[in-house]
Amino acid sequence: MAHSYRAVGWNRTKKVYDRTLVLGVLLFLALFVGATATTNPDMSAEIMLMRAFGTGAFVLLHVVLVIGPLCRLDRRWLPLLYNRRHLGVAMFVLGLLHAVLAVVVYHAFGDVDPLTSILSANARIDSLSQFPFQPLGLAAFGILLLMAATSHDFWLANLTPPVWKALHMLVYVAYGLLVMHVALGALQAETSAVLAGLTGAGLLLVTLLHVIAALREAPADVPHAAAGDRVSVPHGVAADQSADDCWVAVCPVDSIPEGRAHITCLAGERVAVFRWDGRVAAVSNACQHQNGPLGEGRVIDGCITCPWHGYQYLPASGRSPPPFDERVPTFAVRVEDGHVLIDPRPRPPGTELEPAIIGDAVGAGS
Amino acid sequence: MSVDVAWWVSRAVLAYGLVGLLFAVLFVSLGVRRVDPLAAEGTLGFRLAILPGCALLWPLMARRWLSGQRHPPQERSAHRAAAAAQHVDDGA
Ligand code: FES
Repeated sequence: MAHSYRAVGWNRTKKVYDRTLVLGVLLFLALFVGATATTNPDMSAEIMLMRAFGTGAFVLLHVVLVIGPLCRLDRRWLPLLYNRRHLGVAMFVLGLLHAVLAVVVYHAFGDVDPLTSILSANARIDSLSQFPFQPLGLAAFGILLLMAATSHDFWLANLTPPVWKALHMLVYVAYGLLVMHVALGALQAETSAVLAGLTGAGLLLVTLLHVIAALREAPADVPHAAAGDRVSVPHGVAADQSADDCWVAVCPVDSIPEGRAHITCLAGERVAVFRWDGRVAAVSNACQHQNGPLGEGRVIDGCITCPWHGYQYLPASGRSPPPFDERVPTFAVRVEDGHVLIDPRPRPPGTELEPAIIGDAVGAGS
Repeated sequence: MSVDVAWWVSRAVLAYGLVGLLFAVLFVSLGVRRVDPLAAEGTLGFRLAILPGCALLWPLMARRWLSGQRHPPQERSAHRAAAAAQHVDDGA
């Protein structure tokens, strides 16, 4: 929602978010270094810092990964999602500091350049104790670098949100590589079962939350007609009109809370059916910003408000209110016998369609 | 990976990065305003923020710059594609 790009679109919420983030990271680093210095006073400062940065990045990566499913399971987590990109960039910076120290400590003063040294170190892939875990970390670092470098809205617009999202899904590959990097590297040098347990618990938590959130959302992705829902021909439509004129009944209008949406699957994607002020309208569920789930948002001041970063759309037209220019596809809606009926053909983004009036329609249908 | 192979791989990575960095400096100074009108008024901070991405994705941005495209591509999704197809049918 902008007329031109800026480095960062600061607002009060973002500043509070970032301040909390920086304080949290500094506190973590201080605690980690303090605890390590107490329990292992012989460790050199570089190695202690290298581990502190690496562990901090790994912990932040877990936070980044669990925010998505947590928000889908419970809306109270949504404030954490608001500025997740800054969380990701902070995680990358910690990873970068870890990588720089690792290069300085282990690869800067050999016979070959640092990159060649990392790639050719520990060539024993048949041995757990000498597995080349550093190239795994390097590969994960490359992915996180690509993600941090493309985190600006310019890249969202120029790659388009679906491509940008697909690119940023590589974070799961990076996570897998980092779990192996940690398991095969740092944990080999540690005798403590606590670190191994924490790494395993982190992996379990990330996996479980994703599975639970996916199971919870699965019903919304069942295509409606295929699920055997009621399909009706609207009043006034000649009996010999084509099947294109069918309307799909998606839910009882009373099941949609005021100012909220029912999410359904039509024409191959999710559709958000909003009810507000006695009216019903439907738009494609994917926000034009980062494809956030509009149907999980609310109608605020007459506008559908995306739960992720607050982009707004007028329910009847799917357009952002002036002066903004975001647009999402819309769907024709009717209310009949207390049921919401939708024409499953999406209209071009920003097409104004008359919302269904609940009172009139229920009266007419009953 | 043997030291020889690792040496060649690291040279290739460095070459890609160096070309990318040179391209990125040129692109954020001159090219970006041609491919995205919203970037025309971009601040120095904005240009610096997108510079690493331009260095990494330079083949993509170079192709777009050379092709003379004036706007970012349109997002593709099932709904947008179906709506566009419908629109064409209606217009025909
Ligand atoms: S995804 Fe960012 S506002 Fe919707």
